[in-house]
Amino acid sequence: MTVTNKCATPDKKINEEAPCILACPIRQDARDYVQLIARGRFGEAFRLVRERNPLPAACGRICTHPCETKCRRNSTDAPIAIAWLKRFLGDNFSEEIRKTTTEKYPERIAIIGAGPAGLAAANDLALLGYSCTIFESNSTPGGMLRMGVPTYRLPRTAIDNDVEFIKKLGVEIQYNTTFGVDITFDSLKKKGFSAIFIGVGLLESRMLNIEGAQLDGVLKGVSFLNEVNTTGSGRIGKNVLVIGGGAVAMDCARTALRLKPNKVSVACLESRKEMPTTDFEIEEAVHEGAVLYNSVGPKRIIGKDGKVTGLETLKVKYVFDEQKRFNPAFYEGSESIIEADTIILAIGQASDLSFLKGQEGIQVTRGGTIIVNPHNFSTSVHGIYAGGDVVLGRGTMTEGMAQGKKAAIAIHNTLRNTAIKDEKWAEKPAVPDVIPSRIAFIKKEQKQEMPTMPLDERLSNFDEVELGFQLNAAVKEAQRCMNCGAGAFVDDNLCVGCLTCVRICPFEVPKIKKGDATAYIDGDCQSCGLCVVECPAKAIDFKTPLEDCGKDALEAVFQEESIRGVKPLIINFYCQYSACNEDKIDATDNVLFSHVRRVGVLGLGKVAPSLYLRAFELGAHGVMVTACKGDICHFCKDREWVERRIKFISQLLGGLGMDPGRLRTHFVSSQNGKEVFELAFRMVEDIRNLQTIT
Amino acid sequence: MIVASSKPFQEIKQMLSGFKKVCVLGCGSCVTICHTGGEKQVTELAVQLRLSAKLEGREVEVIEDSTLRQCEWEFIEDIKEVIKDCDAVLSIACGIGVQYMAERFPMIRIFPGVNTTFMGGPVEQGIFWERCAGCGNCILGTTGGLCPVSRCAKSLLNGPCGGSQNGKCEVSQETPCVWHQIYDQLDTQQLLATMETIVPPKDWTTGMENHPRKMILEHLVMKKQ
Repeated sequence: MTVTNKCATPDKKINEEAPCILACPIRQDARDYVQLIARGRFGEAFRLVRERNPLPAACGRICTHPCETKCRRNSTDAPIAIAWLKRFLGDNFSEEIRKTTTEKYPERIAIIGAGPAGLAAANDLALLGYSCTIFESNSTPGGMLRMGVPTYRLPRTAIDNDVEFIKKLGVEIQYNTTFGVDITFDSLKKKGFSAIFIGVGLLESRMLNIEGAQLDGVLKGVSFLNEVNTTGSGRIGKNVLVIGGGAVAMDCARTALRLKPNKVSVACLESRKEMPTTDFEIEEAVHEGAVLYNSVGPKRIIGKDGKVTGLETLKVKYVFDEQKRFNPAFYEGSESIIEADTIILAIGQASDLSFLKGQEGIQVTRGGTIIVNPHNFSTSVHGIYAGGDVVLGRGTMTEGMAQGKKAAIAIHNTLRNTAIKDEKWAEKPAVPDVIPSRIAFIKKEQKQEMPTMPLDERLSNFDEVELGFQLNAAVKEAQRCMNCGAGAFVDDNLCVGCLTCVRICPFEVPKIKKGDATAYIDGDCQSCGLCVVECPAKAIDFKTPLEDCGKDALEAVFQEESIRGVKPLIINFYCQYSACNEDKIDATDNVLFSHVRRVGVLGLGKVAPSLYLRAFELGAHGVMVTACKGDICHFCKDREWVERRIKFISQLLGGLGMDPGRLRTHFVSSQNGKEVFELAFRMVEDIRNLQTIT
Repeated sequence: MIVASSKPFQEIKQMLSGFKKVCVLGCGSCVTICHTGGEKQVTELAVQLRLSAKLEGREVEVIEDSTLRQCEWEFIEDIKEVIKDCDAVLSIACGIGVQYMAERFPMIRIFPGVNTTFMGGPVEQGIFWERCAGCGNCILGTTGGLCPVSRCAKSLLNGPCGGSQNGKCEVSQETPCVWHQIYDQLDTQQLLATMETIVPPKDWTTGMENHPRKMILEHLVMKKQ
């Protein structure tokens, strides 16, 4: 329309954010990279992940994925495997990121510790234009990822690949350099560093102050993991007991199992439901053979001849008191003994702040964490910043990265006297839960299983247990995503209140609110695109530019040099929902390679009938539409709409005097199988035989 | 609302033959709602015209635009710049919009892209029925809210006629006999007795017989400068 010809500034229409994005400490663009995978745009998906997340391959493996906890697919069947999809990208793609800076600032920043917080801070500061040097006491990067996380969960190549990317941004890492020994605050200042970021993590295991804790055979969890992770072996006996119920305890148990003792058990205060780690990690530990003792508290470690023989426990009454504070209480007289010759303490970590000697100005808490201003991550000493576990006391990998990223902006703002903000962290309302009455309209789709190493193989080595998604599984999993918060929206300036969207939506989402004359589409939109195409006023569009409904892809085909002079040229519009149903057959046939070009759309309901005409206008000699057969498609109603639109366009083509055989529709079970290639081949042959093709 | 149906493409093609630059112009109200004259149809017609020219080896430039309502001088004024180099405009507004365009832009050929058919509405998605004949003397208050003038093939006022069969009109089995419907409705409302009142012959001079009709709202008419 002349007044406002296009749906103006679509991004502003996103008033509600996807819960998966809001749940992530670094506000990773989960929905959008999943949507890109669903469309087979892997390189772009990887770039999107990497632009926000400096450690995608590692994060895709060990993140506790709060995004999945909040995923709105929980209400229909099961959440999208967001983390596994990120791992799929991190493992298989390595596109260069587009986000780089032309600014180069003279200040140099020192980062202490090459863990998640330090690496994230260095990554983002480098992108902002600063020279960064990371000082790491170990000989390899990763911090607790390397020291604490077992290789069967996180192969070291994943860390190394991620860190290589960070180094490509110009970040320097000095290994074997211990802060407080090889370098100090003063030496760094003398070397000309303008700011120092401390991200040293929590390297010490918390000790248990009970009788027998000094006995031979009592090990610290982090030290045990570090030893096994670096040497491949550990000094344990035949009967190992891990004390603790968190992620580190599970890591200790599963690591111990691989050293082949007779028995590995885990004792923790919490009940099974209260355990502070993911179900998945507990289930895997149990699956591999660990015995769980829930709701028991350690009373004393018993021993003989200075060596551990077991743990005397008390039954737990409750772990958290009425104020929900950690305050365990026990039943008197409930003592019992768990026999063990090795006890591994995994009850939390503590900091080693010995490097602060001579820097008494830096305030620390009684618990041994560094105090920072929560807004700018500055410690009590000017120019010294801190973040990650050493500030949080305990945190996940993504929480550590988030601190590093936020600190990077704060350091930049201080050095440049600016106030830039990362809009991703702005407060936004989340897309509400799916309205119960609509759940029945949404197709249930089986979550893809993560392939794992068979049990009998995994306990004999430290190889990775989860094998990662293959391409087809990744795409199918991504195609379950409901694209929350990025669906269709109605431009009030263009809507004429015709009610078409209200009447045709298979999910009954568009509504005319009381007192309004225009339609409103809420967060339950499933992005099928039917209303976008059918709106007679073109008042409906998708909120993000990701969905082009096949338009850009079609135009791109006709930019290719290779199609010049090709006769006949067939454009195949196909539904991407059935594009990964079987392994791809390489189109080696010369006829298909030169005569057929494919335009994939996630649901053909998104394709306007005029686009088929546009293909002819641009120079196609035939248009072949291959839609999903039966109920394969994510959008079950699409078949009906494809049929009626093709009928409509066939009539228009008839009016233009074109042979009806130049537009064909087929419903197929796979877009890459033999069936489609044969159909395409036949169409090429048939059109070749037509008398006239223009 | 005013309902219009698309003209056959061959007719449109013929009207526009020989013109080198054509604007397909939609209208953002009634014809948008009936899916024949909105932005979406502008695109569909434009691509058909371009494709047709391509198939026949002709050179035609087709531009696309739309206005909020073509039956308002102020709104079509915005189109002036858009169509200034055009030889012809294919207006897919109702006949009113086409005439407004022709009156405002007398130097440009304006062609109708739709046939304006009736006043009615979508009784369900995609199905439009006539509901008003614009007779200028509404009697819906006595007929249970069903218009015999527009919905009876004979516009009978004291119907039904002998052609009413099983609730259908003899003209078309798809058409309900409105007098049958009126009977049912009045029965529901317990007003059947009102049917016994004979309606005298209608004064048709308020309707189509007396066009062009005009309405003046004295209190709103602005004095010409």
